[in-house]
Amino acid sequence: MKKSILTLASALFVAFYSNAQKVDFQEYDLDNGMHVILHKDTAAPVVVTSVMYHVGAKDEQPGRTGMAHFFEHLLFEGTKNIGKGEWFKLVSSNGGKNNANTTDDRTYYYEIFPSNKLELGLWMESERLLHPIIGQDGVDTQNEVVKEEKRLRVDNQPYSRFLEFVKENIFKKHPYKGTTIGKMADLDAATLEEFLAFNKKFYVPNNATLVVAGDIDIASAKIMIEDYFGPIPRGAEIEKSFPQEEPITETMNAKGYDPNIQIPAIMAAYRTPSMKTKDSRVLDMISSYLSTGKSSVLYKKLVDTKKMAIQAGAINASQEDYGTYILYGLPQGETKLDDLIKEIDEEIGIMQTELISERSYQKLQNQFENNYVNSNSSVEGVANSLARYHVLYGDTNLINSEIDIYRSITREEIQAVAKKYLNPNQRLILEYLPEKK
Amino acid sequence: MKTKILAFIVLFVATISSNAQIDRSTIPKAGPDPVIKLGVPVKFNMSNGLKVILVENHKLPRVSANLSIDNTPYFEGEIAGVSGMMGSLLGRGTANITKDEFNEKVDFLGANISFYSAGGFASSLEKYFPEILSLMADGIKNATFTQEEFDKEVQLSLDGLKSNEKSVTSVARRVENVLTYGRNHPFGEFTSKESVKKITLADVENNYNTYLKPNNAILVVEGDIDIKETKKLVKSLFADWKAGEIPSYTMPEITTIATAEIDFINMDNAVQSEIAIINTVDITLGDADYYAALLANKILGGGGTARLFMNLREDKGYTYGSYSSLSQSKYVGTFRASASVRNMVTDSSVVELQKEINKIRYQTVSAEELENAKESYIGSFVMDVQKPRTVANFALNIERYNLPANFYESYIQKIKAVTLEEVQNAAITYFTSDKARIIITGKGIDVLANLEKTDYVINYFDVEGNPTQKPAMTLPIPEGMTASSIVDKYIAAIGGKDKVMAVKTTIMTANATIQGTPLVMTMKAAAPNKTSQEISVMGNSMQKTVFNGSIGYTNARGQKKDMTEAQVNEAKSGNAIFNDLEYSSGELLRIEPLEGKNAIVLKFNDTEVYYDMTSGLKVKEVKTEKTPDGQEVKIPTVFSNYKEVDGVKFPYSIGIKSGPMNLDFVVKEIKVNEGVSDADFE
Repeated sequence: MKKSILTLASALFVAFYSNAQKVDFQEYDLDNGMHVILHKDTAAPVVVTSVMYHVGAKDEQPGRTGMAHFFEHLLFEGTKNIGKGEWFKLVSSNGGKNNANTTDDRTYYYEIFPSNKLELGLWMESERLLHPIIGQDGVDTQNEVVKEEKRLRVDNQPYSRFLEFVKENIFKKHPYKGTTIGKMADLDAATLEEFLAFNKKFYVPNNATLVVAGDIDIASAKIMIEDYFGPIPRGAEIEKSFPQEEPITETMNAKGYDPNIQIPAIMAAYRTPSMKTKDSRVLDMISSYLSTGKSSVLYKKLVDTKKMAIQAGAINASQEDYGTYILYGLPQGETKLDDLIKEIDEEIGIMQTELISERSYQKLQNQFENNYVNSNSSVEGVANSLARYHVLYGDTNLINSEIDIYRSITREEIQAVAKKYLNPNQRLILEYLPEKK
Repeated sequence: MKTKILAFIVLFVATISSNAQIDRSTIPKAGPDPVIKLGVPVKFNMSNGLKVILVENHKLPRVSANLSIDNTPYFEGEIAGVSGMMGSLLGRGTANITKDEFNEKVDFLGANISFYSAGGFASSLEKYFPEILSLMADGIKNATFTQEEFDKEVQLSLDGLKSNEKSVTSVARRVENVLTYGRNHPFGEFTSKESVKKITLADVENNYNTYLKPNNAILVVEGDIDIKETKKLVKSLFADWKAGEIPSYTMPEITTIATAEIDFINMDNAVQSEIAIINTVDITLGDADYYAALLANKILGGGGTARLFMNLREDKGYTYGSYSSLSQSKYVGTFRASASVRNMVTDSSVVELQKEINKIRYQTVSAEELENAKESYIGSFVMDVQKPRTVANFALNIERYNLPANFYESYIQKIKAVTLEEVQNAAITYFTSDKARIIITGKGIDVLANLEKTDYVINYFDVEGNPTQKPAMTLPIPEGMTASSIVDKYIAAIGGKDKVMAVKTTIMTANATIQGTPLVMTMKAAAPNKTSQEISVMGNSMQKTVFNGSIGYTNARGQKKDMTEAQVNEAKSGNAIFNDLEYSSGELLRIEPLEGKNAIVLKFNDTEVYYDMTSGLKVKEVKTEKTPDGQEVKIPTVFSNYKEVDGVKFPYSIGIKSGPMNLDFVVKEIKVNEGVSDADFE
């Protein structure tokens, strides 16, 4: 009896914490279909205006990889009322910061301004949506810039290609098989007409989510939003249908080469379900169990105790339609790649046959609690999460409630998920090797 | 019902009027400036020297602690890396707890603790903070070092170094430091395989016992804390951390160079050149011209609106980003302008970088640029100033640099006061383009030919910053590659053997101009070896060369000259349409870069032929001929713009260079298997 009262008390304690940091927000649609999310936070005199478009690399036509990211660059070239080359200047001369990024699933643009510049931020984002100027000269310059970005981030960096090799093997039909940055030849082949068509199809209010977060007055923000975004015409409905993958039933083996490395790496990659599923969250927990912290299973065994790896871990790269779960290791000294996989498999095998210990389970709960508290620490981060949860998960309130999903995961579910997805016949073994000269 | 209608009207009117208000063509006006509230930290000093800064912020139920030991940097010499190794070994057990227990406790609480050679960082939920801070304090005060952990760390360091050996960026940074500060300077030395192997467990213990002391340490605790409780906690955990005697060290003088030079580091795997133009500076936070220098750097290269970015990225498309930075330091700071650029534009990028640096030194910036730069700084300041981390950092800087307590309160005012002249003076003082090192890490074979055309002296260094020789400018020929495999690849590239052999005759007309005069070249050929080539100006034949399979002649301005026996023999043995067919018996010489692509060079008689390694197409021929006075001259011809005619690709641009003359022919028409008869070769 005494024990159960204690549990109740600690449950109340947890509930108190989550209320203390609940993210309050309002959301509604404009008549043209644009989704709006407002979040007030007066901790600092800052306002974030951001727009997430539900378009990413997976929406590209075959033979036009990199289009979505390339297009993101073009949307800084100027608009009817913002001259070419003025965008960045406008932001910085008003004391703000801005950037954008593209993934396989969505494209995100944002500005952060001192809070008295809210209207400026709204004007800029509405200009970008209403009438951007996309011309051949911009395409030509940004073509070179994007290629330099690829050289900088991929071609000249060690261990930067593994995701490319994993994806092209794990996905046979779904456009996740390509990379977000795309192929140089595809970038060259893209024409101005294709970019204009891309804009017309995807950059419409009914495919966009606007977030305004920070030190704002909600009522006046709503009026400004209607003023700037209300008159933008709705676009055609966007049909999305992506090919389904057949299950992987036999181990695939592949090799990838990188001229920038000396020490090889081994990866075991599994295709897993969408990040929207509970199973995907269970896999997040499995990743933490295997590789978060120095007491985690893979670090402790492979790096610390057996000294077989200089690094080992698990990555749950979860996306809207599928996830890719990657276990990896970089060998220490003379260790063979096969032996690393054997050791990793042994730990997966244990997870599949036995429940993880109560203590390990409690550790995971504490780690996810800690992540949750830290995840909403900046207003920029909150704005991004609000947009992401709406656009990709269809439930903005996950910003507050996703932690409940993690809390509800049981040891039995962890075992079941490990059993369901992490089997040798469901995976790719990628040897990532130094390029032979 | 009535209220509903009214509401509708109100809504309607509101929509109309608000839509009528906005004018998209002008930039919206800002609201009133936000009021800034500077957070005030609590500070106290402990008798062992430790300074403590507490920042209270209850937004989230979490706390972090940051300990930094601000000793003067020192030279590690042949055991370079010893302090880093010591830092990595902290947290692997103390006099009170084993390594595994320590790690398990931290992870179990979902917390983080990390250590480095000059301090540590800890963060956790508020409820676990006392326990986490006590673990961190224990790790700092009572560290134990074992041979086993030490050996493990040595192996990891060696593998870690190896994993970065081919990283162009990490080699570039390392050599930049060696060259900028000197090998005998704490900022210039680096950890190497050799130095790691020299470090012993005793060295690590000695480093810990000497330098990990509270004398110069500052602890910042920030987050959901109660000031009184936290003071008590910190005092109880750190009071018994004993001060020590830290050896004094005087840093060596930096040697600067008198004239700008290129320092080149060759890396064959580089697809981009890392360019950094660097000079050391003597500037410290709080100096009178500090703000002017900040603004000068902001205008030159401080972000996506600065001149370097606008020029090298937005205008030229050379790079993903080009920036400059001015790093202040109590000891020695640096100015650094940099870009990662594709190999082909390395030389042009150096020119543009230097041009921009010189421009800001020799011309006053515009009032608008300065105003924009100020607004950018002030905006960032306004946005950051209320964040607890900023409050903590400000307090830390005031301690570290002995700044007045109100330093940050007057920050905006000081930024606003900077004048155009002050910006230029700062640029002249701190950006020394003419005495800077231009350090380039890249692929020599691709970039050196053009860099040699610049005015700079080029010095060569290896990946550890030692002087070395210029790298070889050609590549070895891969095994199995032969003249006939190259010719086969070429034939396949232009359409395949069947299509090529089906070509019996060709006519080509091409235009060029020489000193403003238009030329027309007409070339006819019939298999196997009949040729006719005529150059005419305004319809008048200037020169004609004909060979009918057994005899030939040249007619230049009415003077006819028959071919010599040697010329006849050469013409006979050749293939009139695709002379490459006979190059199979030639010899492969080398691989060399040509316009950013690698070409294989094949020698046949007195001609060197260049084939693109990737496309297989012929891109250039260089024929060596003897002039009447016996001198050898090289006549290069370049081919490009291949287009298909009847399934076979022909170059539509042909450039010939003969002495000082450049002839660029643009092909107008090529006809295959039509319109040629034997009469054309008489």
